[in-house]
Amino acid sequence: MDYMDIFGVWLSVFLTLSIFSYLYKDNPFYKAAEHLYIGISAGYVAVISFWQQIQPNLFGRLWPRIDANADMGMFKSAWYFVYEILNWVSTLGGWLDRSIFPANGIKGFDGISWIYIIPFMLGIFMLLRLVPRLGWLARWAIAYIVGMAAGLRFYGFLNSDVLMQVKAATVDFSGDWWSIFNGLILLIGTLSGLVYFFFSKEQTGIVGKISKIGIYFLMIKFGASFGFAVMGRISLLIGRFDDLIVSNSPQNYYATLWILSAMIVLLGIWAFFDKPETEELTV
Amino acid sequence: MDLLKKIFIALGSMDRRFIFLLVGLSVLLPKLYPDLFTLPIKASSHSQRVFDEIDALKEDSKVLVSFEYGPSTKPEIHPSAIALLNHLFSKNIKVYAVALWPDGNFMATEAFSQVADGYGKKYGVDYVNLGYKPGGEAVVKGLASDIRTMYTVDLLGNDIDSIEMMKDVKNLLDLDFIFSLSAGYPGSKEWVQFACDPLGIPMSTGCTSIQVTDIIPYVENDQIKGILSGMPGAAEYEQLVQDALNERGIVVSPGKASINMAAQSMAHVVIVLLIILGNITYYLTRKSGKKGGM
Repeated sequence: MDYMDIFGVWLSVFLTLSIFSYLYKDNPFYKAAEHLYIGISAGYVAVISFWQQIQPNLFGRLWPRIDANADMGMFKSAWYFVYEILNWVSTLGGWLDRSIFPANGIKGFDGISWIYIIPFMLGIFMLLRLVPRLGWLARWAIAYIVGMAAGLRFYGFLNSDVLMQVKAATVDFSGDWWSIFNGLILLIGTLSGLVYFFFSKEQTGIVGKISKIGIYFLMIKFGASFGFAVMGRISLLIGRFDDLIVSNSPQNYYATLWILSAMIVLLGIWAFFDKPETEELTV
Repeated sequence: MDLLKKIFIALGSMDRRFIFLLVGLSVLLPKLYPDLFTLPIKASSHSQRVFDEIDALKEDSKVLVSFEYGPSTKPEIHPSAIALLNHLFSKNIKVYAVALWPDGNFMATEAFSQVADGYGKKYGVDYVNLGYKPGGEAVVKGLASDIRTMYTVDLLGNDIDSIEMMKDVKNLLDLDFIFSLSAGYPGSKEWVQFACDPLGIPMSTGCTSIQVTDIIPYVENDQIKGILSGMPGAAEYEQLVQDALNERGIVVSPGKASINMAAQSMAHVVIVLLIILGNITYYLTRKSGKKGGM
């Protein structure tokens, strides 16, 4: 096995055990692993989003590949001059390799899609949040995102979650007794659950009784959710244990055993010297 | 009786770290001694439905598999992905992979590398990995109208039009089935809302346990054709695929989820016992006017 592979295994074991060490109490190992995880995740998402979406789908549409020898006209030449300025900035004046803005445009699309100037501008507005005097421009971009997302999701929810679910809640009396019984329970559960969330009338009398039935249905739902959540967390624990067991093989120089032992000793020393005011509250 | 009561109250106030240790041991012991903890796996109706839907697809059908999970939820969903690819490739079905999560790229690449060679499947001819696009539901909607508005190249950087199996595919309507391997948002819900319901494309899902109660209304209403619920769902599907492939003369070893189900079940038993113990203690301490520590 390659030494870099072994280093990778030891690192993954160290980070896994660092996260698990929180079960003892909050400690420097956990904090280091947590910060590393958040930083790497954010960095990875930012890089991959740029190279998978912004570069090919936004820049690629605004500055598609062109024939270097073709006569472009003044306007198009000026547009591609902007492209070269962006390239100059992104390569720190030619110091870095040309990668984001390759020569003669980006491969993928045929003609310039001018409409994409709008998302390009909104993206710049979003970044202007870092400039206090121009930060207000970011609101335009946020307004667009909120409006677009609300409209898009409304359409999806209305069809799949409202109309089709209302249809599903109807009782089919042409079925067998068992399906009718099931349908009735579903209908009672849906209606009583909705009554519980109806706050325009005081929940007393008949409304109170129906809403109480709704509470029972909701409790069953929450119980099921809790059960499934526990099941999921145990599955993830099994996954980590799987990796820890594999990492403890002789090929990996018993990484789990060594790191676990070292961590227990170091945590013991740390706990001994830790000041009492940082002690966490007991549950 | 008083002694029993005292024991229960003492147990109720035990340090939470002992509970973590107990749960840890309940997972670790079946992993270290698997022969002592073998349990049968019986497919639920939902897993059976998924298997039946995939099994009913004809040779050369086109299936889109969306990878919407990452390393953090890999133990729950990756076994479903492996079993699914085994099932699809054994039936010579073409697989189109996309990812709505950035980590989905890794998961898809790993799943294909684990399965494709075993069936002699070639990249670009039998399967393609288009990779990740940010945007969630906007990506799904884009794929529903025109795949090329979203993807100009695949994950490896190949021009999408140069890939043989992409030639007849313009949008999702050209595909026969969608399978969402989902760990949250964006995931199965978005595929139902923006692709399967509007376009009428059949879809199944393999999702994390925590999502099941949100997804199950779609399954009951037939908007989703069956669900693989977390690791137990994956284990059931693995078993069904393994039995079916063995019948066809293809030898497949037991999947990871099936192997891990004993540990899962043992942990559940311990947790249920702890919940019962906690309730008894709570009842006793409340009765005696004391405050429990559990």
